[in-house]
Amino acid sequence: MIEDLDKYILIEELSRKRGGKIGRTALMKFMFFLQTIRNMPLGYRFTLYSYGPFDSDVLSDLGEAELLEYVESDIMEYPGGYGYEIRPTDPPSKSDILSQYDGDINWVIEEFGELNSAELELASTAVFADREEPSSSQSLEDLVNRVRQVKPHFTKETIRARVEDLLNKDLLSSIKG
Amino acid sequence: MPSDPNRLFEFRCPVHGFIQLNVWEREIVNHLDFQRLRRIRQLAWTDYIYPGAMHTRFEHSLGVMHVATRLFDAIEERSKDLLEKEFSYQSAAWGRHRQLVRLAALLHDIGHGPFSHAGEELMPARLNGDGKHEHEDYSAAIIRTRLKDVINNHQLNTSNWGILAENVAALLEGKTSAAETLFWRDLVTGQLDADRMDYLLRDALHTGARSGVFDLDRIVSTIVAIPHENRGPRLGISEGGVHAAESLVLARYFMFTQVYFHRTRISYDYHLQQALQELLPEGSFPPPANVDGSVNEDGINEYLSWDDWRVQYELQEDKGGDHGKRLLNRNHYREVFHTVESPGRPEVEEYELIKKALGELVVYEAVAGKKWYKLERSDVPVRSERQSNGQVKPLSHHSKLVGSLKPIAQRRLYVEKEKQSDANALRDGVLINKKRGEDD
Repeated sequence: MIEDLDKYILIEELSRKRGGKIGRTALMKFMFFLQTIRNMPLGYRFTLYSYGPFDSDVLSDLGEAELLEYVESDIMEYPGGYGYEIRPTDPPSKSDILSQYDGDINWVIEEFGELNSAELELASTAVFADREEPSSSQSLEDLVNRVRQVKPHFTKETIRARVEDLLNKDLLSSIKG
Repeated sequence: MPSDPNRLFEFRCPVHGFIQLNVWEREIVNHLDFQRLRRIRQLAWTDYIYPGAMHTRFEHSLGVMHVATRLFDAIEERSKDLLEKEFSYQSAAWGRHRQLVRLAALLHDIGHGPFSHAGEELMPARLNGDGKHEHEDYSAAIIRTRLKDVINNHQLNTSNWGILAENVAALLEGKTSAAETLFWRDLVTGQLDADRMDYLLRDALHTGARSGVFDLDRIVSTIVAIPHENRGPRLGISEGGVHAAESLVLARYFMFTQVYFHRTRISYDYHLQQALQELLPEGSFPPPANVDGSVNEDGINEYLSWDDWRVQYELQEDKGGDHGKRLLNRNHYREVFHTVESPGRPEVEEYELIKKALGELVVYEAVAGKKWYKLERSDVPVRSERQSNGQVKPLSHHSKLVGSLKPIAQRRLYVEKEKQSDANALRDGVLINKKRGEDD
């Protein structure tokens, strides 16, 4: 299991590599992807809410990372609401975890770094629904329908496109054929 | 003569007044597994510090159901149109969702082990490697098996709602099969959940720590579903509830510092955990699931045979080892050093210095922010009532007090009572040297 201090440094690194800032939703979903898809031993317990996979321990770790000044954060107002901007502090922290998991950190930024919060909620819900089922046990349409039941504000086409994108990237395991 | 299916039963609750149950819920409450909660104390050994803290998971579970229902009804009244549009609810769905939320709230703690959270460290690792099982896993397993019949087949349910045990378990666990009902999961486990609201008021009442009291009525009268652009609605409050939500956050903060992370309470939790390890056949509880993911029914049966009464009896029989003796004799480990509530790097460095100097004298280290007594940094959405567009901002924007609260990450070091003087001297030596270094 990755030590607490290393998790704080991971939060700092994710915010640094995502262009110097990251939101709470992105942080939550990146941690989910890293643990679920890349098997990083983060020790979180993600369960599903209408806004996607969530574990309050990620916010606890963020709070400690702020206290120990690995990151700082502010509330930012947007036209449609508000969000949190988490930024790394200087100088960059050093830890073996950064070299050990460098490929995974780069992977999550590359695959999901450009998605907005709504898209991240959708993609993470699709991965969550995928991992609930055994390997090669459901059709793509089954998965789309299950995700739609949780996130009905997305159209079926939008969900299908996201699921196909994840499938093309070989990030889903439950789809048959 | 058949009993009246519409008859209501009442419990008198010291926090909420009368709590009503229908005939189906009464059957569930009468189930042996629910009655077991009468023998699970809410705050474990806390009565050694706050003598009134003898309340149980039984009364808490009833209270959570009551509060969840009040919150549900308030949201339905205020946000019905929004939720029907977002989730395509038919009008009949409201009654079913309400009943499902009541059951999830009633049963959310049915999987607690003896002395509630104190024994959770002794739950086995999950098969998928994501840490250890928690009491929620046992709750879901108990609901799916031992409570299946009383949930699925009661006439009031089959003729009105058709709720299955699986529906209740999926909502509690957070599974996709809970589908559109997941929106309500926040009422059972979330920032504005009924669990938190009940335990704060109940623990405040029974411990006498009145700082846990907040304005529940105002929360109920201002809770609302808030639309969230492209992302579906969220639970929040309207602006009139800002001070009530502020009082909820502060109540949690104060109860955390004064009760849940009380230095002696934490010490007793540790002794209890260690004594339980002695008592349990394998040193841990049986897992709730088999390797193939199915419910481990034998394990669940064994798990449920453990309650406070059995543990206390076995401790009296002197089977709890050194820690069991310490519990019986009130010879708990003594705290020798703690950091401030929200330590920064300098305070953590000082703590590590002292810990190193104390070496093997340290027998236990408690870190706030870990395990069940964590106090994560959360924020509640607040919808403006004055602006026509219903602008939403977080509670921390409206409340400078909440905005300035830092997460609690206090650390505590413990030593044996007999070695407290030695430890104090070593600790003081480190602090004096550090002060000299700073003065130089």
